[in-house]
Amino acid sequence: MSGDAADPDQRENRRVRDPRRRLRKIARIARWEVEYSVGTLDRRTVLLGLLAVVVALGAGGATAATGGVALDEDLYRVAVDEESPYHEPVAAAPSLNPVEPGSAWDVRVVDTNHADRTAEFRARDSGKGAAALAALRGAVRSENDRLMRAEPNESAAFPVAVTLEYEGRATAPAGGTTDGGGTTEPTETATASGGGAGEEATATATPATDDSDRGFAIPNVGDALFPDPASGSPADIQPPFPFASLILAFAFLVPLNFVAQAYGSTVLDERIGRRGELLLVAPVEPGDVVAGKTLPYLLASVALSVVVALAVGGGEAGVVSVLAVLPLAVLYLAGTFVGGMFARSFKELTFVTVTLSVFLTAYAFVPAIFANVTPVALISPLTVVVRDLQGVGVTPAQFAFSTGPPLLAGGTLFLLGLGVYREEDMFTQRAVPLKLLDALDARLTGARSAATLSALAIPFVFVAELLVVALLFALPVSVSVPLLLVAIAAIEEVAKSAHLYAGFRTGTFARTKRVTLLVGALSGLGFFAGEKLTAVVQVVGLPELTLGRAAFSATGTGLDGLAGGPLGLLVLFMAPLLLHAVTATVSAAGAARGRTAYLLALAAATLLHAGYNLTVVSAVV
Amino acid sequence: MSELRPEPGSDAAREREAAGEDRGRLRSFWRDPRTVLARKELRSLADEKTIVLALLIQLFVAAFSSFLVVGLVSMYQPGGVGGVSVDAGVSGDAADELLATLDGQSGVDAREYESPDAAADAFRRGTVDATFLASHTEENRIEVTVTVPDENVRTTVTVVQIRDALRAFERDQRASRVEYLGTEPLVLPEAPSSSPYYGFSYTVLVPLLLLLPAFIGGSITVDSLSEEIDRGTMELLRVSPLSPVGIVDGKLLASVLLAPAQAGLWMALLSVNGTPVANLPALLALTTAFALAVSALGAAVALLSPDRRAAQFLYSTGVLGLFGAAALLPGSPPNTIARLAVNSASDVTYGVVASYVALAVGAYLAVRALVARRGAAALG
Repeated sequence: MSGDAADPDQRENRRVRDPRRRLRKIARIARWEVEYSVGTLDRRTVLLGLLAVVVALGAGGATAATGGVALDEDLYRVAVDEESPYHEPVAAAPSLNPVEPGSAWDVRVVDTNHADRTAEFRARDSGKGAAALAALRGAVRSENDRLMRAEPNESAAFPVAVTLEYEGRATAPAGGTTDGGGTTEPTETATASGGGAGEEATATATPATDDSDRGFAIPNVGDALFPDPASGSPADIQPPFPFASLILAFAFLVPLNFVAQAYGSTVLDERIGRRGELLLVAPVEPGDVVAGKTLPYLLASVALSVVVALAVGGGEAGVVSVLAVLPLAVLYLAGTFVGGMFARSFKELTFVTVTLSVFLTAYAFVPAIFANVTPVALISPLTVVVRDLQGVGVTPAQFAFSTGPPLLAGGTLFLLGLGVYREEDMFTQRAVPLKLLDALDARLTGARSAATLSALAIPFVFVAELLVVALLFALPVSVSVPLLLVAIAAIEEVAKSAHLYAGFRTGTFARTKRVTLLVGALSGLGFFAGEKLTAVVQVVGLPELTLGRAAFSATGTGLDGLAGGPLGLLVLFMAPLLLHAVTATVSAAGAARGRTAYLLALAAATLLHAGYNLTVVSAVV
Repeated sequence: MSELRPEPGSDAAREREAAGEDRGRLRSFWRDPRTVLARKELRSLADEKTIVLALLIQLFVAAFSSFLVVGLVSMYQPGGVGGVSVDAGVSGDAADELLATLDGQSGVDAREYESPDAAADAFRRGTVDATFLASHTEENRIEVTVTVPDENVRTTVTVVQIRDALRAFERDQRASRVEYLGTEPLVLPEAPSSSPYYGFSYTVLVPLLLLLPAFIGGSITVDSLSEEIDRGTMELLRVSPLSPVGIVDGKLLASVLLAPAQAGLWMALLSVNGTPVANLPALLALTTAFALAVSALGAAVALLSPDRRAAQFLYSTGVLGLFGAAALLPGSPPNTIARLAVNSASDVTYGVVASYVALAVGAYLAVRALVARRGAAALG
């Protein structure tokens, strides 16, 4: 699939048949890449780099050691007498700033009698006043706990002792986890560390203030202020939350960003001043060139992941974690490769890589937060890491489900970028959309490829839809559900028709009625097949996931836009196929007539699709 | 016409002269080669739609962090987001005391069972989500054994609601034993109906939206300098009427102008969305200062290490490190921003702002000195 227009004979000569020779070439290019990169480093850069890393690590370590930063230091002003017993908790709470009764305040403690242990609380009639009062309530409660701990009479100070037990129920409702079903977990007293699966309690978060009354604090794990958990008081109950594991899992993502940044520079460097031309005219396939240039960075990602696993795991994070991070590394590099091929300048590349980082971090990190909560979390490979760190483990099917989509998406992106790894695209300054169309067109060979490309778009659609769900989550339901359905329809319609538009534009597809109908129907079929394939994988390999998904759709998060599959699989099996084919044909008809017509047709197809989704959702839910 | 001309030295003449001077000054600023260079930088950002992408990224980050918080708070603070109550089965010889408290709790809906077995049975059938076995102990305490399902999203919510209910129970029990205590517990203020997201908006969202433009500005500076060097276009700039210091000035001007503009836009959006932001001038001054400091760092890195890969790496780790170090100090940037935005600033806060501005100017002067000292050699 080299993109040049050389005659077949010559292409035959260029293609290296012997796989061993090809591997040798890839290895040689990889070696050059490493040598060149090392060559750009002078002594000063290395020293500066070491300094920067030391400063960054030092700051990170200090932040971890001191238990983080109190972002809300002195956020609220509380007017309280110096002599009042309420002065002590206000002074102890980081977010509260005790001020003189005469000055500006958000909450005022009117304590006329300092001996009666009560006071009148006046809050400003504003959001700030209410928030300050909530913080004050938490601070006073912490103060009471502190006072009671000093009491000699323990039964009066802590009259209630709580033991918390987690027990599996045989008849788990929708969304039951696979592990621990039906077995009784060992008893845990509330004083033990968090109730999650073997979660390490690390003293972090926010001492002295009470989390449940602090607006946004992440549930704390371990109480830094009172490391004496002898009471079994209700205050010591910790909700199960894999906070520590999440932070550690996040550590796997950080180095990937740096590797991707360096890799993007390398790709763009090839395109500046026609530097890549020599490799292009050498008797090597473009694919091998890219493989050679990518290999060192992929190995670096793996090596860094291993280092992180050794550093954070302390023997807990194992091979599974590194294997789970690998697809993410591939996806990062693939996205960066496409970005490097499309970008016109360093500035643009920076933004492309930042965008990628933000999206991929979101995609990897957010589902992992719900690792202990719902099997849907397995969408992200980081969930596998979290579970590995907790010693829960995953089944091979779950692992495949987690790591499959990013790997597929990464491979597809590499294919897409390779489409423009040729002279007419590499050394010209074309607008990004045109490059994208070129890249898509390079992958089109006949009508059948319309279906293949649609199917290949599934992982991207999956990720994009998840992100849309995440973004619209914060809106009220009445607005977010219709918006969500329209957005999901739009994503799917674009995925089904972008390559068709590219094909019509460059003349790969003839602009006739017959071809339009054919590629439209095929594109719809390909998309439908890809969608069903994922649904089948879930039905066969992950029954609990369909439950989780059904739960998701019932709560209006609208993952049902992905497939009619779990929702009445048999009844709705053919309807989606028809829908996909019809809407893709509508877009194709527009694409054959030009840009404006395409955009109009795309809008029409989206509305049609959204209307269908709306009727299905309201019929099912 | 001559009689219409005001007397030289009269007020009118002076006014007109001053206006002309102002116009001239403005025009000369507009035509100043440094400004021209800054305008060129901004134009290229607009042409490449880079700035659109930058704004989208920031919007995404902000929306996303909000989403995360909404999601987390709804999970871990069910009461805050109109959560459902937990159905609980209570049994044991201290059930009456526990029920007396639980009846007043909105988070837990309790009913009594005659025996622990009956409660456990109801738990297994799914009639109740949790069981409480409350019994008096020898040493005059009440022991509560709580069983919750080891299952799913509800468990976390359930545990939080149960914890809050049991805390209320603990308070009631303490109150009944108050004569045995040396110090009486303080009476708590009433629980206000406050939005759990209030603090988050000011301590995370506002600092994020004010600091991101500054970091992005620094990144642009690194890129635009290393690109000029890499593509060989720096040579062209050097034959322009710009001194090396002037070139760096122009590049810095572009990113320093951009940051407060973006920050102002975000703050306006937040105010429309019901998060009023106080002390806007001080906040914009802070953003400008951070943008200047970070861009100066970026320029220094790009000049000292012209290879983009190394430069970007140095810049990002450097900024992360400096910011991390600053975050450990009292008066850290995010905390200063939060206190200004929420209108809890004291004189000390303004002093901190002034010192950040001074620090930024110092960084800028240091870079200028670096370029001036190395002259043309500084520019690759």
